Amino acid sequence: MSNLSTQPAVEHALAPPEEPKLPPRMWIQKNLFSTPFNSFLTVISTLLILAIVRGLLSFIFNPLRQWNATATNLRLLMTQAYPEEQYIRVWICVAIILIITATTMAAWRVDRRIEVIHLGRHLLTAATGFAIVTLLSPWSVSAKAYWLLISSLLAGIGLTLRRIQGERSVSNLSLVSIALAVGVGSLWVVPYGHHSFVADRVPRILHEPGTVAMSTKLPWTIVLLVAFFSYFGARSMRNRLPAKATKTALVVTWLLAPLFLIYLILRDPNFDMGHVFSTDLPIFLAFAILGSILLVWLTKPTVGELGRIVAAAIIVTGVGSFLIPMRMVVRILLILLGTFSLAAPSFAGGKIARKRYTICWIASAAVLSWLITAVNTPSTVKVPGDFFLGGFSLTLFVAVLTIVISFPLGVLLALARTSKMPIFRLLATWFIEFVRGIPLITILFFFSIMVPLFLPVNMHLTEVAAVVIGYALFSSAYLAENVRGGLQSVTRGQHEAAEAVGMTTAQKTAFIVLPQALRVAIPPLVGHCIGVFKETSLLAIIGLFDVLYIARNVLPNQTAFMGSTRENLLFVSLLYWLFCYQMSKSSQRLERRVGLGER
Amino acid sequence: MDKSEVNAVRGELSESQNIIVCENVNKWYGDFQALDQVSATIKEQEVVVVLGPSGSGKSTWIRCINRLEQHQEGRIVVDGVELTNDLRNIEQVRSEVGMVFQQFNLFPHLTVRDNVSLAPIWVRKKPRSEAEEEAMTLLQRVGIPEQADKYPGQLSGGQQQRVAIARALAMEPKIMLFDEPTSALDPEMIKEVLDVMKTLALSGMTMMVITHEMGFAKEVADRVIFMESGQIVEQGTPQHFFENPIEERTKLFLSQIL
Repeated sequence: MSNLSTQPAVEHALAPPEEPKLPPRMWIQKNLFSTPFNSFLTVISTLLILAIVRGLLSFIFNPLRQWNATATNLRLLMTQAYPEEQYIRVWICVAIILIITATTMAAWRVDRRIEVIHLGRHLLTAATGFAIVTLLSPWSVSAKAYWLLISSLLAGIGLTLRRIQGERSVSNLSLVSIALAVGVGSLWVVPYGHHSFVADRVPRILHEPGTVAMSTKLPWTIVLLVAFFSYFGARSMRNRLPAKATKTALVVTWLLAPLFLIYLILRDPNFDMGHVFSTDLPIFLAFAILGSILLVWLTKPTVGELGRIVAAAIIVTGVGSFLIPMRMVVRILLILLGTFSLAAPSFAGGKIARKRYTICWIASAAVLSWLITAVNTPSTVKVPGDFFLGGFSLTLFVAVLTIVISFPLGVLLALARTSKMPIFRLLATWFIEFVRGIPLITILFFFSIMVPLFLPVNMHLTEVAAVVIGYALFSSAYLAENVRGGLQSVTRGQHEAAEAVGMTTAQKTAFIVLPQALRVAIPPLVGHCIGVFKETSLLAIIGLFDVLYIARNVLPNQTAFMGSTRENLLFVSLLYWLFCYQMSKSSQRLERRVGLGER
Repeated sequence: MDKSEVNAVRGELSESQNIIVCENVNKWYGDFQALDQVSATIKEQEVVVVLGPSGSGKSTWIRCINRLEQHQEGRIVVDGVELTNDLRNIEQVRSEVGMVFQQFNLFPHLTVRDNVSLAPIWVRKKPRSEAEEEAMTLLQRVGIPEQADKYPGQLSGGQQQRVAIARALAMEPKIMLFDEPTSALDPEMIKEVLDVMKTLALSGMTMMVITHEMGFAKEVADRVIFMESGQIVEQGTPQHFFENPIEERTKLFLSQIL
């Protein structure tokens, strides 16, 4: 076991000798027809699978199916009422996200390779499946012959690839790139048919043969090209830049991007520059400068007890400022500064550590000030309803935001519930047990209807924001219990070892306990995330237009597509499945990766 | 190296100071009294081996010295700092007392190098590069520099225990406590760990060792303390202890293990 961790190639060389491969006939005999009962099971289940597949196929390819309903309304399903003339904003968002993704992939060297022999096997399997589907489908003989020809062509390629000698491999990434390029390229060539939905035209839905509309194929092409260029650009740059700094910068970009994309691009806020320069900016600068001076002093190792008193005083002032009229941004920044001062002794030490801590404070203050300014500035994008997202983008938005908010909250709750301090323990336990005792729908109703009533007169909370807060609180209670399971799996010896080298409780938790606990908790945590993603469909109950609601209640009522419920539901379930499957796949990958140090 | 040479290396042992002082320490688990009026002083650079049957309170005592367990009565003073409920005292004492556990308790999610350098970076506030350099020096000292980038799960028990010793030493402690460091090891790995401990003892480290390795006790210890049912029954030089024990209970214990 010389080099297990660094070289995957070595692992391969060390693998035990493979069992001799049986020829197909022998394999089938050994695994499927070994005993009479086994043969019986094989026959029965084959028939069952064939019947199900045939039923499904004849449903899908039935001429009565209105697949046009889904194809025409893709835009409605994805973004609902976001105005068409503002679509450029969505595309810019997609492009920016793809640029960051591509750069990240290049920086982290995400480029796994797949062996050509395996590729051949996959192709062969795909061709077989394809042929079976073709044979079972209710198509005309000529169509069947056409598709059978294609699958035998695929199988031929697969067989040739399997014959190739030596250990050749191709990069996974180039395969995906080729597939994407072919897909997007086909938009320009293949007449998929064009179902346009134009609001001010009668009839509103027309079937126009030909390739898809320019407003679809052009942005896709541009976005794809942008992604390619940024990947290859980043790849050629990566050896010239310091890897660690690049990665840090990318992580920060990932964290900040949503805050700016949502407000700057999707809302196009109408900033009152006079107000920004006369009020918002000075407040931020004052806090940044005075706060930095304070923190530089507080992180001196010699400050001692006085530092805690100052920190406590700031927090008390911050909380007290809620009782007197004052700008919300000042109150929030005061409390943030108090928290930073309270934590300062843990970061006391060398010059670099102190400098980093101060920079961290300035950055947090800047992000918070920006957010508060952005939230308070009205959007210039006019949308029906009070929110600019609907359909699948609403589902994604709520799910991602809920997970991102509830994750740290859940971890904190779990830590509080296992803490030695009775007040924290009691509060956390009460909160968790209380929230877990209430159905999600009740919470959604409460936050969408009741909470706005409790707010101060001139404070306005979008329904979606209220719902996300409620959903995040709900989800954090369950998440906390999953994390607590992980925390309990960390042995007492680990706690003692960390204490014995003199770590404080905070250091022990951050470096020793949490990493191990979260690793153990990955499977339930991902399961929880999948649940959060799927249960966003409950948003329909409080009147938001999520993708499932549109598919079930909106599309089947369009005059052109009366009663197309089943087609749309099938499509939406495929959409949900794709995302959930990806989540569980990446969780498996994550488990394998962090499992490196396991015994 | 035999005992007389060892003492010659140590030089002016009698002149040095008391670094651990225990006075009438009592501890109960519920109704069970784990420590019963334990009083002992340990001098700087002294190597003390604690012996006793299982359940005799030796582990509890050693864990009280760096406050992994709390004593309920009596005083424990370590390097001039009394162990009370004051957190700052405890953290100060812990960063000066290294501890090696029976089950190693390495951090499984960190590489060997990070295991050793984590505490110096965060507790001693050393720059990372300096801490990692020192970690490599320590790993060299315990004889496994080539394993620095592996995870604990990829090492043998003996190697893991040596990493644990390096981790404790990285904090530059004044005292090292060993809680049965070789009991969880396969026989062929015990020697490599004991060798590291012997070198450490020769370098003048103050050590308290709970062990069942009588060879180690005879060769390295300055003093042997025998405990039973939470009490210190007998103590003395290894020579006295193994050859002319006074107490009946000590004789019985020795007859069972030797």
